[in-house]
Amino acid sequence: MSNERATRYTNRLRLLAAAVVILVFVSPIYVTIVNAFKSEDDIRANPAAPPLHPTLANLTTAINRPDELLQAGLRNSLIVVACSIVLLIPLTSIFSLYVSRRRTRARAALLALLAAGLMIPPQVVLLPTIQILTAAGLDHSYPGLILSNVAGGYFSFGVFVYTGFMRSVPDEIIEAARLDGASGLRIWWSIVMPLVRPATATVAIFLSLWIWNDFLNPLFILGPLTGQTITTGLYLSVGQYQTSFGQLFGIMFLAGVIPVAGYLFMQKHFVAGLTQGSSK
Amino acid sequence: MSQRKTQDFGLRTIAGLGLVLYVTFIVVPVFMSLRSSFTDQNPLKSASSFVGLANYREMWQDEELRASVLYTLALAFGVTLAANALGLALALLLNGTGRSYRALRTIAFLPQVVSGIIVGFVWKTILTHDGLLNDVLVSTGVVSAPVDWLGTPGMARLSVGVVVAWVLSGFTTVVYLAALQHIPRELYDSGAIDGAGPVQRFRLITWPMVAPATTISVTISLITVLKLYDIIAVLTAGGPSYATQSTAQYIVKMAFTSDRFGYASAVAMFLLLASAVIALSVTSALRRREIDL
Repeated sequence: MSNERATRYTNRLRLLAAAVVILVFVSPIYVTIVNAFKSEDDIRANPAAPPLHPTLANLTTAINRPDELLQAGLRNSLIVVACSIVLLIPLTSIFSLYVSRRRTRARAALLALLAAGLMIPPQVVLLPTIQILTAAGLDHSYPGLILSNVAGGYFSFGVFVYTGFMRSVPDEIIEAARLDGASGLRIWWSIVMPLVRPATATVAIFLSLWIWNDFLNPLFILGPLTGQTITTGLYLSVGQYQTSFGQLFGIMFLAGVIPVAGYLFMQKHFVAGLTQGSSK
Repeated sequence: MSQRKTQDFGLRTIAGLGLVLYVTFIVVPVFMSLRSSFTDQNPLKSASSFVGLANYREMWQDEELRASVLYTLALAFGVTLAANALGLALALLLNGTGRSYRALRTIAFLPQVVSGIIVGFVWKTILTHDGLLNDVLVSTGVVSAPVDWLGTPGMARLSVGVVVAWVLSGFTTVVYLAALQHIPRELYDSGAIDGAGPVQRFRLITWPMVAPATTISVTISLITVLKLYDIIAVLTAGGPSYATQSTAQYIVKMAFTSDRFGYASAVAMFLLLASAVIALSVTSALRRREIDL
């Protein structure tokens, strides 16, 4: 009896310790959230305190900026992410379906070629990418940025996730559909895609997050006059002149709230995606 | 056979298009960089001429490059070590059952969700000379004068390392947690029956069982730091002077600020080779270790 109570006591102590350590670990995020709702004086007095006199002034100032930093940035990022994902999902899944039905040696060679895309630092291909886009008349444009997203290292990531799942799609189902005269694309859409839905979730979630947070490509491929994504907008506008702590936290809170909300909404798929990734 | 080819026409076309795009935007650029690295290519000049190995010879003498390479290597290995140690420790702490632990696990991944730009700005507000950390430290009397966390070369190097390790720890924690949750309980039960203490159980059961997760986590940490750009750009912009400048940043500076495309390409080739050698050798060493354990 007393032994049981002791176990319960240590369990509670362990949970408390875990909670304290994690709170310290995410304290920069905590600081951003609470101070977005505090006046400058309250922030200076104690940045760790919760907002005792909560104010929306920081957020309204951020939204009412004359340069529309947040509105323009969020809109442009949303366009880039949505277009890139809509193209990447069919492209990577169809490529993976095709590759996973090839002979072992051809498949290994193609996947090795694609593995390079995951490892090559983006700085190495950035300059030639801009030259290629310029030759195609797509430099300093959203189509150019989207094209470089679709064709670059993100393509490799999508293919690697999908090929892992395609292996578990039985050959017999595909052969049976073939004998019934179904085309390759018909098989892809009606048979394979429903079977690899978890892979689609993983690819869509992680690539959305990475493309949303991407900085180097939008900074140099879009250039200063084409408009900014949320990351390049923050980089170029914030800190050009003295920004108060309250305003800075207000801007960062609003800029970060979409990916964080998306993550909290989809977090089951996030962990599932990472677990599959790390057990392969 | 020919019927199958017609059936697969659409599939083949789109798969082929994917491959063509990938080759155009990854493979071709690598060879364009390689070619450019033997020239004095410069966007301000209309024509470029071959200069042989001159760029590579110049790299050998380039103090700023050497400093960036040494810092990048120190950052890559230091941050990888710190983020994996912290990630495993947090994972062990969070490996419980119930809703509370699930909530804490969700929170632990947050540093990975927000962009490096936001991370950079928030930490800069905390670490800058009249920032929040100094406010707290001075007002509580821990230090008598504000500490220049980002202003002196040594402190700035360390601060960048702390911030990058913090971001990566969100990722490593989740990877290690996934591995921990796949360890069968019976292993620990039989270990306890055999009289193994907590330290022995960690050394003999947990450590070998998370070895595949260690391989993934270490490899991705190294690759991430080797191509890191955004956090440093906001936090220190490579400064003070060039104390916290990574090689990735030096390439971008040479290409877009100094307009020296040829030289930037040569440095890029070096970074590509170094990343490949480091990532491949560390991964294969860790894979071999998985079998030994």
